[in-house]
Amino acid sequence: MSARGFAPVFWAGTVAAAALGFYLVSLRVASERAALEDVETEIAMAQRDIRLLQTEIGTRGRLAQLERWNVRFIRLSAPTADQFVEGGFQLATLVKPEAKPAIAAPVILASAPVEQDAPQSKLTGEAPTSAPASRSVSEMVHVASYSVPDKTPAVTQRLAIKPGAPVAKPAAGASRPPKALAATKSVKTATADPLAPLQTAKPKAKGSSPKAASGAGSPKAKPKDSVTD
Amino acid sequence: MNAPTPALVARPERLRLVGQRRQILAVMHQRLMFGMLVYAGIIAIIALRLVYLAAFGDHAGRKGGALDLTPERGDIVDRDGQALARTIDAWTIGLQPAKVIGNKLDLARKLAELMPEKDEAAYLQMLRSGRNFYYLRRRAPPGLVAAINSLGEPGLALEREPDRLYPQTSLAAHVIGYTDIDGKGNAGIERAFDQQLLDPERRGEPITLSISSKVQQALEHELGGAMSHFSAIGAAGVIMDIHTGEVLAMTSLPQLNPNAAGQGTPEARFNRATLGVYELGSTFKPFTVAMAMDAGIVKSMGQMYSCPRQLHVAGRTINDTHPYGRACSVAEIMKESSNIGTAQIADQLGAKRQREFLKQMGFLDKVEVELLERGRTLSPGANWNQIETMTVGYGHGIAVTPLHLASGYATLFNGGIYRPATLLKVDRNHPAGKGRRVFSEDTSYKMRSLLRLVVTDGTGKKADAPGYRVGGKTGTAEKYHNRSLKVTSFAGVFPMDEPRFVMVMMLDEPKATAETFGFSTAGWNIAPAFGRTVARIAPMLGVRPDKRREPNMAEVLPYVQKEKGH
Repeated sequence: MSARGFAPVFWAGTVAAAALGFYLVSLRVASERAALEDVETEIAMAQRDIRLLQTEIGTRGRLAQLERWNVRFIRLSAPTADQFVEGGFQLATLVKPEAKPAIAAPVILASAPVEQDAPQSKLTGEAPTSAPASRSVSEMVHVASYSVPDKTPAVTQRLAIKPGAPVAKPAAGASRPPKALAATKSVKTATADPLAPLQTAKPKAKGSSPKAASGAGSPKAKPKDSVTD
Repeated sequence: MNAPTPALVARPERLRLVGQRRQILAVMHQRLMFGMLVYAGIIAIIALRLVYLAAFGDHAGRKGGALDLTPERGDIVDRDGQALARTIDAWTIGLQPAKVIGNKLDLARKLAELMPEKDEAAYLQMLRSGRNFYYLRRRAPPGLVAAINSLGEPGLALEREPDRLYPQTSLAAHVIGYTDIDGKGNAGIERAFDQQLLDPERRGEPITLSISSKVQQALEHELGGAMSHFSAIGAAGVIMDIHTGEVLAMTSLPQLNPNAAGQGTPEARFNRATLGVYELGSTFKPFTVAMAMDAGIVKSMGQMYSCPRQLHVAGRTINDTHPYGRACSVAEIMKESSNIGTAQIADQLGAKRQREFLKQMGFLDKVEVELLERGRTLSPGANWNQIETMTVGYGHGIAVTPLHLASGYATLFNGGIYRPATLLKVDRNHPAGKGRRVFSEDTSYKMRSLLRLVVTDGTGKKADAPGYRVGGKTGTAEKYHNRSLKVTSFAGVFPMDEPRFVMVMMLDEPKATAETFGFSTAGWNIAPAFGRTVARIAPMLGVRPDKRREPNMAEVLPYVQKEKGH
């Protein structure tokens, strides 16, 4: 009974609540729409500002102005045909490092004996005992002997190429006993032997390299040693 | 309202038996009910309207119009989208004398300090006059607007109004044109497309020109340099894409600042490139040779003509600046720009065919381009006899615009097809103009080596830009009223082995200088500027310099006799 009596009230309440609900939804939608419009307006204003600033920067950086600066201060000019490269390969050739003259072998040989001055004397003692190794070492000893009187290594290097041999002979003779003298002869033979074993006197310390002296020189050195001995 | 109602309601109890009163009561009820219905109806309408507004209506804070970004007048941009003309909001300072409340003498003094273009007395007179409104300054700088605003005088009106701004100032001024103070196009594109620029439907989209700002700037700079160096009174230049007819750059000097077009001289406002017509001289010779080749008269570059030192025709004498005095080939005629040789070729061609070809190339009509400033060309007209045919053959007696000439060279070197020049970028929205064949493809091909020869060995040596294979022809014409005054021009195409761009440069009345050894012919003044311009713009246009490429010079070189002097 009571429920039946209140039915219209319930209905009225429900309808009122529904209406209120609808209104709230609509209100929410409207406020969202308003927010969206605000954002859109902001975007539009930003775009307008962008346009304004672009116009300003375009006016300040106009080509005629840039040209004027270029003529007065920067002075850039159009590239010539030669400044264009075909591709990466041609570009790479432009940055090729400068070719340095190859260091000749005798220079290395000459520098070595200066350091080995002290041990050489010991090695010379060993040299006669072992046949192949000793000869290569003994060759080095004699090269070193050139440099000792000259003192400055740079000078000896140059001297060793041309007048080295004649100077070396008396120097070696003065500093060392007959062993050294014999060794100087062996040096000559060692340097010359890759070319011709018989013409020992003519080429002096010309093409002597450490490798030739130690490796290639050793097997061929045998007959010459026998000659000099 | 409420007070009498209870009385009316109370009374019926007492007056029930009185018929008259009953009647009155009934009427009262009726009226009451009617009034109530009216009120209820009004309230219902308001309530419904409220519901409707709540559901579908706009809210109070809506900002209508702020979203509208379409400018008052459409933009004009170059082919890369760089703005060339824009409408911005500018400040306008106005004066309303009736609203002024402060001391008018003080105000006049302050105004004279801020805007010294008028003196204090003039401002005071304006303030005391009875007029409603004066413009004090249009397009005022912001600093001045701030200073005026700080005066705090209600009689000074600060307003914003749309104003046309050309950010690149004088760049391509004659192409873009300018507007008057009310925003109506007065020249150039502004005038030609005035309707489209103002149409609310279409003004949101900018008009894209075929002009390239960078190329335009290079052309203007180099041409301006040549003009001032040789003390010329004017200059014009056109650069075109020969395949589409797009004008990449077009200038007329002296320059004009469209931001203040009214301050420019009439000389500066004159567009020499499309409105001015000039006898362009020897630059016409390639057309004569091409016409003769197409007509079957010249069959080879080695065809010989007698080239005496002077040629007497119909009581007139034709001279050469570089007379041969012997038989010379077509290649040699072109190389040293021989009037005598060209006149003979033109004579063989005949007036009828010559006129037909010129008509096909558009040389007898106004130039076909969007601008409205187009000059009427001058030709012998009805009086086109033998001597006229001969002089037209080497470019005298016919006056056309530099744009005509560029368009003609484009026709000659794009394979022989005439296409109208256009100032709008050719793309999906705007296709290239409809072409018509004028020369055969073979003729077009053979002309390449002929014009290259002029630059490698002939009169146009100074126009060469190493690696860019420039081919072209010099032209020097004397002015009709004073033969010592000249119009020098150079029309050229590059790269000649695969032509892509044509450029025409012209100097009006150049003077000789010390380093030209007293010469004022085209080979000495405009040709070097041409070479410099090509070297500058070709890389921008995507032309690779290559010193090992040349057009087929075997077409012409066998027919050129080495001279003793060379």
